[in-house]
Amino acid sequence: MSEMIGITRRKDVVVVEDLQMVYRVGKMEVPALRGVDFSVKEGEFVAVIGPSGCGKSTLLHLIGGLLKPTSGRILIEGVSISSVSDVARTEIRRQRMGFVFQSYNLLNTLTAKENIALAKRIQGNGYYEDGSAQKILRMLGLENKMEHKPWELSGGEQQRVAIARAVINRPAILLADEPTGSLDSENSRMVLNMLRELNSDYGQTIIIITHDPEAAATADRLIEMRDGKILNRVQNMFYAMGEKRS
Amino acid sequence: MFKLILSNLRQRPTRTCVSVIAVALGVALLLVSMGLSYGQLVDTVRRAQGIGGDFILQSSEASVIFALNSGTIPVRVQKVIEEVEGVEAVTPILAKFLGDQFHIVFGIDPESFGRVNSTLSFVEGGRFSEPREVIIDTIYANSKKMKAKDPLQILGHEFTVAGVFREGIGARVLLPLTTLQELNGTPDKATMFFIRAKEEVALEQVYESLQERFENYKITKTAELQEIMMDSTPVFKEFVTAMVCISVTISFLIILLAMYSTITERTREIGILKSLGASKSYIVRLILNESLLICAAGVGLGFLATFVVIELLVAAFPTLPVAISLFWRVTAAAMAVIGGTLGALYPALKAAGMDPVKALGYE
Repeated sequence: MSEMIGITRRKDVVVVEDLQMVYRVGKMEVPALRGVDFSVKEGEFVAVIGPSGCGKSTLLHLIGGLLKPTSGRILIEGVSISSVSDVARTEIRRQRMGFVFQSYNLLNTLTAKENIALAKRIQGNGYYEDGSAQKILRMLGLENKMEHKPWELSGGEQQRVAIARAVINRPAILLADEPTGSLDSENSRMVLNMLRELNSDYGQTIIIITHDPEAAATADRLIEMRDGKILNRVQNMFYAMGEKRS
Repeated sequence: MFKLILSNLRQRPTRTCVSVIAVALGVALLLVSMGLSYGQLVDTVRRAQGIGGDFILQSSEASVIFALNSGTIPVRVQKVIEEVEGVEAVTPILAKFLGDQFHIVFGIDPESFGRVNSTLSFVEGGRFSEPREVIIDTIYANSKKMKAKDPLQILGHEFTVAGVFREGIGARVLLPLTTLQELNGTPDKATMFFIRAKEEVALEQVYESLQERFENYKITKTAELQEIMMDSTPVFKEFVTAMVCISVTISFLIILLAMYSTITERTREIGILKSLGASKSYIVRLILNESLLICAAGVGLGFLATFVVIELLVAAFPTLPVAISLFWRVTAAAMAVIGGTLGALYPALKAAGMDPVKALGYE
């Protein structure tokens, strides 16, 4: 119970208020989000689940500042990214967000180490090599793969490199879009364990979008979406009781 | 960023090589054409100045491109020029362009020529003393593998080479004025007069006196010959402008095509960079720097290609004058870079303006 009280006292990292998103397809308007409200606290691990087309990815892209909402508000650490300029939104994304995608999205022309270092360089707007890329690859068990190109790595290894790239700049929020969607069960478990460790050991706030029940079960809290709305908010009781996961 | 640019260029070696070669082609085209045309002009000026006169007097409608003129001024004008205050010596010259051999010959009067010119020196033989004798310069002799006493055909007549002089004076072939007048059908006529001023008199003063006395003639200061030639050579400026435009256009189109196709192929990569927080300016710089690298390699290769082409041309045509100044090297490089940068600008701005979500979903 004390754990639960602890959670409520933590500050909100993400606040979403009456979020609406309408796509225009020719003359047609297609609503993707119809008034979504929720918040995510610092150090929370939230999974957004729901059927395809329910607006999960749109929600993630909006939180990540890749899209601008039609209406409503998104606050990232108290700053509204829905009302700031494109430049300011890019700056927030650069400094405070980390993305992990289903298809890994590593740059094929760069090695694992260079992919990670690139994120660091973009954040610093310049080149510097402080060894953090090697350190994090070592931590993720990829020390022998540093000089490998993405196509020389397995799917699981690529996703681990993608996670390393996403967290290298210590973002406030890690946004993961179906991170296990392209992986077999063994690699999925490995990636989920990594995310779990990042959350529990380093207090990394994570929002994950998934179809995978195992991935959803890893989260502290589930948000179920349907037809652009939130259907259910479920506190993962396993986490609420403060028990250690395997 | 540099590592990303290099890896991208290495990833698509064929396109990178073709782009570099195309930029090099533009650079080489500009340098070779300018080198040849300026070479011809500079060489003509240098050799005209090598005669030693301070002024050239021509008929009013004559061109400073000597090959375009014929014999129009009576030789007796020489006496009138010599009477002008401050004039030391005057020599008449008849210029004749030999179309079949594509070079110009000068008919000279050895006696007065010697008073104006003090630098004619022979490496073999000596001055002509007979009407059917000529003297040739060292470049002509080397290119035709000729020496003194060898026969030489000019305007369908056989001449004998009396001597070989050090190049840099007048034309490559000099023959007696009267002989050329006869062959040209212009007896007692000259194309121009080279005038040497007295050392103790200011050149400007002599120039004014000449202008006053010969107001219906064209008087050119030999020191200003290059500028005057550049200004008065028919379509020279247009030619230069056209070559510069072609060079810029080649770079522009090639880089536009290369960068446009590269950003289309790399749409997803641009989406990834945007998801990592890359700003629009970062994306623009990435594309522009990539094109700059291609242009730089193209400029380097273009310089090399120019050197090789010029060496081959000079080996094949030893009399061919070539002058590639630092100005034109810098201009060629600048045109390639400007063309390339302009060509990359649209793709760069297009890439920077991409919707990151659409870019990430691009297959």
